[in-house]
Amino acid sequence: MDRDFSQELLDAIQRADRAGANAVIDAWAAGHSFPRVVPDLLSPTLETFGRLWAHGTQGASLAVGYVAAKIAEDVLSRLLLEAAAGGGPPQPAKGPVLMGNVEDDFHPLGRKMVAAFLRADGWEVHDLGVDISPAQFLDKAEETGARVIGASAMMYSTAKNVARLREEIDRRGMTGRIQLAVGGAVFKLRPELVEAFGGDGTAASAVEASALFERLWQRACTAAGEPRP
Amino acid sequence: MNSLERVLAALQNRPADRPAFLLNAGLYGSRLTGASLKDHYTDPAVYAEGQMAIRETFSPDLLVSPFALAGLGAAFGSRMSTPHRQPPNVAAFAAPSAEAALQLPLPDVDSHPQILYLRESIRILAKTYAGQAPVIGLLASPVDLPPLIIGLEAWLDALLFQPDTARALLHRLSPFFVDLGKAMLSDGATALALTANLANRFMVPAPVVEGLGLPSLAQALGEIPGPVILHHGGCPLLAHLADFMGLPNTVGYVVDAGEELAAARALLGPGPLLLGNLGGPTLAGLRPEEVSALCDQALAQRTTDPQFILATSGADIPLDTPPACLQAITDAVCRAGGARS
Repeated sequence: MDRDFSQELLDAIQRADRAGANAVIDAWAAGHSFPRVVPDLLSPTLETFGRLWAHGTQGASLAVGYVAAKIAEDVLSRLLLEAAAGGGPPQPAKGPVLMGNVEDDFHPLGRKMVAAFLRADGWEVHDLGVDISPAQFLDKAEETGARVIGASAMMYSTAKNVARLREEIDRRGMTGRIQLAVGGAVFKLRPELVEAFGGDGTAASAVEASALFERLWQRACTAAGEPRP
Repeated sequence: MNSLERVLAALQNRPADRPAFLLNAGLYGSRLTGASLKDHYTDPAVYAEGQMAIRETFSPDLLVSPFALAGLGAAFGSRMSTPHRQPPNVAAFAAPSAEAALQLPLPDVDSHPQILYLRESIRILAKTYAGQAPVIGLLASPVDLPPLIIGLEAWLDALLFQPDTARALLHRLSPFFVDLGKAMLSDGATALALTANLANRFMVPAPVVEGLGLPSLAQALGEIPGPVILHHGGCPLLAHLADFMGLPNTVGYVVDAGEELAAARALLGPGPLLLGNLGGPTLAGLRPEEVSALCDQALAQRTTDPQFILATSGADIPLDTPPACLQAITDAVCRAGGARS
């Protein structure tokens, strides 16, 4: 009987079993080309996991999401190693996009998890770190050509700084052409704040960020009157 | 009845003239005194003046020591951010991993400036309000200390992938927690309030909760010679309350904003205090009448519960919260008291 690798991987993630997840991936890779692991195994499994995690399925702790991000990083590291051995790292297929915690926010975990999932899904991510001012976000966006900024804030007090980032985007005449994705505990608890503070969208979980960034990237291209590259 | 008598009545499950209430308004005190946040979070006398102003203005029954847990990390060598509109955070960690943190010396609770700031704030408030109002000492339990020293990511790495190292670090930090808790109580804190997020199933999987978090918490609390209130710390508590029931010396539980009070009491049964469930950080976005309605709703649910204390949950009440919103809380408990008489 064929093994259900996706279910096995999902089970390992839900047990927060990083070693077990990597063993499942190894077993899958024994019969497939490793570079296919992302589209054929990891992405669909993470998609299922993301739905379960976002709905707070029993046992889906924050740490389980963290382990899922670590597994995505593990896969990405192996892909980069294999690509380097083959003559050079692969070019990310999507982006560039920015990630950062807004000014006064020093809670990096969620941001790092989102960045890991985005990279695993082929995005070129510039991770700016914590306590990033609106000007820093916009300067980097102009430098890199990023069309989506992912801004993270954990608490209500710092989430207000998303509104300052919104103002800076508008002040520089980038309204629509740079889309603002927001995330963090406070937005999950109070989704109405996404719009109130000027966000263009949010995702129910870190795993679902890639789909959000896809939508926002399309919107930004449309606003700029450009076809998506 | 004064505030201390009111809270003691709640502890003893006796009726009081009105429900007691608590405002997590350590930060907000600086708004009333006009002190800079730098002074507020470094000078215990300035902080204490803020709590006195809170007491004079809004009459909460319980006062709090600085909710500045980053200072505990700083005592180990972490670097704190400069506070602008909120209490200081940890901006850079003292060590990169749990393994590295094992080599850090434990701060001396009798001499480290960050610790003395917390302790002196308690001493001033306890002396000022002796016999009148309880003072609650705020700190982090051993399971929540490592995120302040090595960061949450490195602590999760240890808890999930290096349980022996995580266990060793908990053993290392527990005596510091116990010494600080004892010191705060000897300084005059009536009780300690602490978080235990990394023993909550919302944060970590069951094996970590059951194998590391809860045993470490129970062992440390068993050495605290005074009452302890467990704070939800930003995590949902109601769904996991059963895990924390029966912990040594634990006399009360602060549930998260909006968590069902009746369900919490049904789980707890008589005995422990139940505190909550107003969202402190979100008060700034509400109109006073909306705050009033939330208070009335919570108080109406607990009319026959002498052990309920209306409290703001979550982090500090933000600086831009209109005073009228806090006054609405005071007015609501007074109305509830009037209804009792």
